[in-house]
Amino acid sequence: MPIVEKSLVEVDRTEKLEIDGIDVSGEWNTFLRSRVQAHLDVRVSDWVKGQPQGETISRCWQCGTCTAGCCMHTDYGLTEFNPRYFIYLAQVGYEEELRKYATTVWRCVSCNKCVERCPKGVKVEEVIHTIGSYLELTGAAPESPADRFDRAYASNLLERGILDEAALFRTYERLEGRKTPARDLMRMGLALLRSGRLHTGPFAHRTRGWKKMGRVLRENLEADERRRRALAVRAAPPNGGRP
Amino acid sequence: MNPILVLGGGPAGLSAAAELAALGAEALLVEREAYLGGNPKRWHYSLLAPDLRPAEEILGPLLGRVEGSPKVERRLSTTLTKSERLEKGFRVTLKTADTVETREVSAVVLATGFDHFDSRRKFEYGYGRYPDVIDFKELEGMIHDDKVVRPSDGRAPKRIAWILCVGSRDIQVGNPWCCRLGCVVSIKQAVEIRQKHPEIDAWVYYMDIRTYGLWEDLYWKSMQEYGVKFIRGRIGQVTLAEGGAQLLATGEDTILSRPTEVPFDMIVLASGMEPGTGTKEAAGLFGLPVGPEGFLTPRLSDMNPVDSGSPGVYFAGAATGPKAIPDAVTEGMGAALRAFQYARE
Ligand SMILES: Cc1cc2nc3c(=O)[nH]c(=O)nc-3n(C[C@H](O)[C@H](O)[C@H](O)COP(=O)(O)OP(=O)(O)OC[C@H]3O[C@@H](n4cnc5c(N)ncnc54)[C@H](O)[C@@H]3O)c2cc1C
Ligand code: SF4
Ligand code: SF4
Ligand code: SF4
Repeated sequence: MPIVEKSLVEVDRTEKLEIDGIDVSGEWNTFLRSRVQAHLDVRVSDWVKGQPQGETISRCWQCGTCTAGCCMHTDYGLTEFNPRYFIYLAQVGYEEELRKYATTVWRCVSCNKCVERCPKGVKVEEVIHTIGSYLELTGAAPESPADRFDRAYASNLLERGILDEAALFRTYERLEGRKTPARDLMRMGLALLRSGRLHTGPFAHRTRGWKKMGRVLRENLEADERRRRALAVRAAPPNGGRP
Repeated sequence: MNPILVLGGGPAGLSAAAELAALGAEALLVEREAYLGGNPKRWHYSLLAPDLRPAEEILGPLLGRVEGSPKVERRLSTTLTKSERLEKGFRVTLKTADTVETREVSAVVLATGFDHFDSRRKFEYGYGRYPDVIDFKELEGMIHDDKVVRPSDGRAPKRIAWILCVGSRDIQVGNPWCCRLGCVVSIKQAVEIRQKHPEIDAWVYYMDIRTYGLWEDLYWKSMQEYGVKFIRGRIGQVTLAEGGAQLLATGEDTILSRPTEVPFDMIVLASGMEPGTGTKEAAGLFGLPVGPEGFLTPRLSDMNPVDSGSPGVYFAGAATGPKAIPDAVTEGMGAALRAFQYARE
């Protein structure tokens, strides 16, 4: 890659070299990400096509009718949200590029205008959601604090079928890699105790018959996780599949 | 009435000869190759677009009508070396490897067809240099014999790409016209391969998809039922990938607006149709003008595509421009009728 003046290159292609929080890479940047797409793989489209909702993806011929009428794209002005483009990336197999849109793809509000208009009978709305699921299952979207809280919450609930606030707090703190100062912890503990919600450890509440219910739930979640992992393993290799 | 000369034994010439016989006229069918059937026979076309019926099933009956008719005199491995206009018709000289013969004919149907564009001329695609860059006429034969393998190592390819418009719509090689068949035939090939070998993935690089009229159906099916993928953009060059085991197709995906450099196991070139050498020869022999593209030009191509404008000379098939078999066959019928009318007058 040649040395290029930074101002001539798209922001997302320049790499920073920071020392003590100061960018020292200068005006001339030698750390450029290549724009060349070297990866073309049928995995995404095969998966999407294999889902009952994603079946029609392979019909798309990129006319743009869907995007032209899409309220998110046109009226709301979210140009990044382009159903035609998402379909192309998934259909043809540019997985690397598609992964950038792992969160944007969920902006669809399911108005279904696209489905009504598509001349090829693509169920655009369903296909877009299926693409979103693929990206979600293969871990394309970075996990947010809210996602981590969800994780902590679910595992806590699975234990006894009823929340243990103190344990939830501990788990979440661990997931976030955070430590609340002892003084604040004390204050919170007291508040929980006073409001009658500090049922933790041996005093924790239990739900009757939870053992069985919990098992069913866990089995389901594990199956989900297996599916997720199977997909994650199959996600595009980072080198773009080059020989 | 002297026989009517039909020059060229491809679909158009066969159709003309068969039709002349049906009209009760004598036909003298002259073919320079040792076999009848033209390009489809020469390259062992597999299934024919758009109906995906075997080429034999379509050419067979036509050949049968010609070969089974006492009215058609077949002259294979024969060329025409001279023609001289008579008051009615022509005196022509037929030449084989060891004979020369002069015959009088009452009218002429020129059905001399097309030649494939020589893909070596698009040197940036590496045809002739890299064994796994093949021409789609060669793929026809491979599909026909169910032996779709890489010429380099005899292994089955996992990823195949088609490049459309090779030697067509390209001023660099002097061929600005559209080949009409490249799209539908490439798509048909991808469908045939995916039907038999779903494990092979197929991508088609296109500028436009010109599956005109009812052929659109095959294009749609190729996507929906066979998962053929279409990428917009013309490949700029083909090189060997690192290690040399694969080919690298460099282009711009114009939908992505980004350069692409994608590895494939095999690359198929949809090479265009050019006026055949035989067509040029025939034009010279009968003193006919050719158009800027080098094809024979009917006097009124919009009204009557089979009349040359020169009395007693008629055209049929790909000699006047890229054409599909049904069109070539129809023109064969038209030219036969017109030649018959002229000869009988
Ligand atoms: C790869 C490929 C696949 C195709 N597949 C299909 C398909 O699936 N469906 C379809 O409809 N069409 C298809 N076509 C088109 C089809 O090949 C043509 O429509 C058809 O061959 C035209 O017939 P023709 O008789 O005009 O010409 P040709 O087939 O070219 O026949 C001309 C004949 O004339 C002979 N000849 C030429 N000059 C002389 C001379 N001076 N003296 C004596 N003989 C001479 C030649 O040897 C040849 O036998 C395909 C084309 C290509 C390139
Ligand atoms: S309208 Fe249909 S065919 Fe056109 S781009 Fe959208 S999904 Fe594709
Ligand atoms: S359903 Fe979604 S993708 Fe389709 S037009 Fe509405 S917002 Fe856009
Ligand atoms: S038929 Fe298709 S491949 Fe052939 S020149 Fe036209 S657009 Fe190109």
